[in-house]
Amino acid sequence: MNYFPWLTIIVVLPIFAGSLIFFLPHRGNKLIKWYTICICIFELLLTTYAFCYHFRLDDPLIQLVEDYKWINFFDFYWRVGIDGLSIGPILLTGFITTLATLAAWPVTRDSRLFHFLMLAMYSGQIGSFSSRDLLLFFIMWEFELIPVYLLLSMWGGKKRLYSATKFILYTAGGSIFLLIGVLGIGLYGSNEPTLNFETLANQSYPVALEIIFYIGFLIAFAVKSPIIPLHTWLPDTHGEAHYSTCMLLAGILLKMGAYGLVRINMELLPHAHSIFSPWLIIVGTMQIIYAASTSLGQRNLKKRIAYSSISHMGFIIIGIGSITDTGLNGAILQIISHGFIGAALFFLAGTSYDRIRLVYLDEMGGMAIPIPKIFTMFSILSMASLALPGMSGFVAELIVFFGIITSQKYFLMPKILITFVMAIGMILTPIYSLSMSRQMFYGYKLFNAPSSYFFDSGPRELFVSISIFLPVIGIGIYPDFVLSLSGEKVETILYNYFYR
Amino acid sequence: MEHTYQYSWIIPFVPLPVPILIGMGLLLFPTATKNLRRMWTFPNILLLSIVMIFSFDLSIQQINRSSIYQYVWSWTINNDFSFEFGYFIDSLTSIMSILITTVGILVLIYSDNYMSHDQGYLRFFAYMSLFNTSMLGLVTSSNLIQIYIFWELVGMCSYLLIGFWFTRPVAANACQKAFVTNRIGDFGLLLGILGFYWITGSFEFQDLFEIFNNLIYNNEVNFLFVTLCASLLFVGAVAKSAQFPLHVWLPDAMEGPTPISALIHAATMVAAGIFMVARLLPLFIVIPYIMNLISLIGIITVLLGATLALAQKDIKRGLAYSTMSQLGYMMLALGMGSYRAALFHLITHAYSKALLFLGSGSIIHSMEAVVGYSPDKSQNMVFMGGLRKHVPITKIAFLVGTLSLCGIPPLACFWSKDEILSDSWLYSPIFAIIAWSTAGLTAFYMFRIYLLTFEGHLNIHFQNYSGKKNSSFYSIKLWGKEEQKMINRNFRLSPLLTMNNNERSSLFWKKPYRIGGNVKKGALITITNFGAKKASSFSYPHESDNTMLFPMLVLVLFTLFVGAIAIPFNQEGIHLDILSKLLTPSINLLHQNSNNFEDWYEFLTNATFSVSIACFGIFTAFLLYEPFYSSLQNLNLLNSFAKRGPKRIFLDKIIYLIYDWSYNRGYIDTFYSISLIKGIRGLAELTHFFDRRVIDGITNGVGITSFFVGEGIKYVGGSRISFYLLLYLFYVLIFLLIYYFIF
Repeated sequence: MNYFPWLTIIVVLPIFAGSLIFFLPHRGNKLIKWYTICICIFELLLTTYAFCYHFRLDDPLIQLVEDYKWINFFDFYWRVGIDGLSIGPILLTGFITTLATLAAWPVTRDSRLFHFLMLAMYSGQIGSFSSRDLLLFFIMWEFELIPVYLLLSMWGGKKRLYSATKFILYTAGGSIFLLIGVLGIGLYGSNEPTLNFETLANQSYPVALEIIFYIGFLIAFAVKSPIIPLHTWLPDTHGEAHYSTCMLLAGILLKMGAYGLVRINMELLPHAHSIFSPWLIIVGTMQIIYAASTSLGQRNLKKRIAYSSISHMGFIIIGIGSITDTGLNGAILQIISHGFIGAALFFLAGTSYDRIRLVYLDEMGGMAIPIPKIFTMFSILSMASLALPGMSGFVAELIVFFGIITSQKYFLMPKILITFVMAIGMILTPIYSLSMSRQMFYGYKLFNAPSSYFFDSGPRELFVSISIFLPVIGIGIYPDFVLSLSGEKVETILYNYFYR
Repeated sequence: MEHTYQYSWIIPFVPLPVPILIGMGLLLFPTATKNLRRMWTFPNILLLSIVMIFSFDLSIQQINRSSIYQYVWSWTINNDFSFEFGYFIDSLTSIMSILITTVGILVLIYSDNYMSHDQGYLRFFAYMSLFNTSMLGLVTSSNLIQIYIFWELVGMCSYLLIGFWFTRPVAANACQKAFVTNRIGDFGLLLGILGFYWITGSFEFQDLFEIFNNLIYNNEVNFLFVTLCASLLFVGAVAKSAQFPLHVWLPDAMEGPTPISALIHAATMVAAGIFMVARLLPLFIVIPYIMNLISLIGIITVLLGATLALAQKDIKRGLAYSTMSQLGYMMLALGMGSYRAALFHLITHAYSKALLFLGSGSIIHSMEAVVGYSPDKSQNMVFMGGLRKHVPITKIAFLVGTLSLCGIPPLACFWSKDEILSDSWLYSPIFAIIAWSTAGLTAFYMFRIYLLTFEGHLNIHFQNYSGKKNSSFYSIKLWGKEEQKMINRNFRLSPLLTMNNNERSSLFWKKPYRIGGNVKKGALITITNFGAKKASSFSYPHESDNTMLFPMLVLVLFTLFVGAIAIPFNQEGIHLDILSKLLTPSINLLHQNSNNFEDWYEFLTNATFSVSIACFGIFTAFLLYEPFYSSLQNLNLLNSFAKRGPKRIFLDKIIYLIYDWSYNRGYIDTFYSISLIKGIRGLAELTHFFDRRVIDGITNGVGITSFFVGEGIKYVGGSRISFYLLLYLFYVLIFLLIYYFIF
């Protein structure tokens, strides 16, 4: 086929271009902003081009493969490739990161470093989504933590150091288990380490060992995803971080956990997964209810959104646990859909924070008159977040529901119970998201400050929110956009469960 | 002929461009869009008229040849699942689409004037078109998923429109309440859909009915599970149609602009629940428990709505409770299996209630100029009265609507309600008695509203008659009218009618009754605002503009003549009416073998009875609410009532209890706010506490412990050689001791 190393270029381009930022002449932030945004757009276009012309949707195998030996000493390869599972998250990464860079224009403090870190994160995320080698996956996974930590600890609210430390400790703690799992799987059996995903997917292990591996990976991904009770880093982090960081965190970083669950736990360890899947479903259901009701008790706007995204991750976990074609498709759709919705909500919360400078919901109120455009976008997107039909969240949740209903693994009574509890989450969602928008925007308030203090959303902010809103509604009306990407691959993954 | 069917997928999409364009315009080019303003109304009305012509055409075809037309596209295809989109045209669809479009067009014309001074004029029209789109989508949808989708979209439109005046905290609360309550219904609906999918493996109505009937026939289903699923489906209808346990959102929904109340919360959206039950009736009819449940919920709602409507002060809330009660009638009819009567009542009620709401909007519009723009005042019947002279056309329209709703013969609702009532005799005598007596109640509360609004004198000026402006001591009569003491001091009004003496009320009620609280305040504010104006001359309400009167008059025509569609006309020996022709393939449980002659006799007796009950209700209303100073005769009559002695007090008590119950909305809202809202808040607090203290506490605890351990080790490793030596020797000693004891 073609031997042009598309993926390698896509992975390394942002960080190389990003390191050039430091050599740019000191001429204010404007140059850096434009440079970064150009790099991001170029990268996005490159990705889209490569995927359009060199990726075939009907092929469930990995494509655009590149395989170079990197370190001879222990068989470490630079193996990248994409398939139906990873193409969605990679495109999402490109899209969200570009918009987050655009959203980060007001950042003036150390903007050089900030933009470099954004680009570094871009590389790390695409790298971990596209790696086909277990060790490379681990390295990319860790590599992407550094920029996030720096972004968290240098820009944001007052308690940012606390939350950044919490984040790094949580994720580093998770990474230990990931490393144990990676080494365990790699060194099992043969004399030389096997780290290739393809060969590993066909390997089978003793059940006890597989369970141990599974638990290790599960903890690592549960921290990232997050799955309760390992979620407390998320509200703190999101509450403190700058909103463009939040967009990246909510839009992409959380999805890495879910992606890892599918990629490693489902694909490589099918037996253990079918043992653990009932527990996953139970935890997912609890998470939906728990996080939704915790979200109600939050006073801080961003923490409320953060809990709502934890609650939405529950659907992904249930979809993964349901071991059906439908459920897994729903989970992937939810990954993409929540990537958009969560990022947009954080963006809007951040922009309205920039204007009103209030963190707590009960102090706000009556913002609809001064900032009508933000109000409009916020209400639309909170509708999307509560799974209004016609938006992507609804389709994803509906498909997950069907995944549970059609799952042959479970009996009728547990299915009824699980569905029932999930549906209760559906009642709680509008309570928190609508009361959030009510407390922020509805009602009236007399402002002491002169009215010129507030200015409505400018074209840049409007552009960001509309361009997130368009795919949300697009997927909601025609979900095959995403489902056609992942359908074949999902079938291949599930094939293992029934015919092996 | 077939072309109409072929292209009828376009029905929901015709009004769609308007909200999209307005929305984009408002977001991207706000000033330019706002300058066009009224230009936007024309495409709005035009597109809806196209749909109306379309649906008239469809229903004519349905009358000629009753056939079901279905067309389906695939929406998402996957190996395991596929969702489909399509449209489904049958008589029900054509009736509903005619209803939606006619009422929709009239309301759009009306609201052009009603909202003309509002800031959010364009927003309003965008929401309205969005609502029309989704409502038309709901009635044409061909499977349950599609129903669910449009069901929620309709709910969202209702949310947006209730919260249209978002600066008012009351409206903000009301719209959230409406959405959440409807979401509870959606929860049931979704679970029901999933359950039926699990049983039958299909969403399409026809496949679903067929498979399900086969399963029932072969006795292959778990009956309990089926009943559960069916009742979950019914929960959706309960929430949307404001039936008993989930009716709480409807009265609060009156916070929205009045045209909305006419279109969404009286004529179309609340009828969606009835529509869905009617659509799924072939499914429900094979499960007898569900039919009983439906009729039970229906009858409870009929009674509850009527009793709650008795003492509302807000004119729109009164109408809202009446809507709820009438929806209960439809639900009752569906539960009894008389599909035809339910749909007939749906149509007639929609027109009559839309007329009433538009009339009340006109009243509010004319009152606003006098009392101010707060809905506490402009919608308050306390301040109204005597509007007959000022707004004569509105008065006629409103009177026609009232009479129709009461069930006075030539008007629309009489025919349908009579049909339901006579069917209820066949079903169950108890239900029939309740339904009949509620017909009397309906007449009573409707005429109460009418009399308080239009008869007598304009109450807003009463304080000026009495000469003292800050008479905050005047009390409010039980039913929300001012006490007559100021005019007629020597006339101790019968205790039946007054609530002024708190000591009496506290005899049988612990807490002094606080009805008048906000009203008094409102009156005071009004005086300060308008005092200067009034000093010279009283300002009187004026009749609304022609743009507002025209839709009302059209609706009057509808109310007068829509009953005719079910009047049988003999043609070549075939006894048929239009509605029966439309609904031939439908289900009728009760009239299995009724022949022509008996029918007429039965009809006459039933009609006389129901009309007499309605007249009794009207008479009672006249007795109680006839303005006192207008006819002395009544005063005497009331005096004679009042002088009746101790018996009165007992009756007084009962009436007071009823009014208290009614005014406080049956304490159902209070119960919900105590149990559910407090419960959820408590849960939220609890989980928040758990999350902060326990889960996060463990994390922080680990952090703090590691800090202390580190500090401890730092202290231990304080680079003192002697300490190291001590430790070293200590460990050697322990080691030696262990060695010594073991070996």
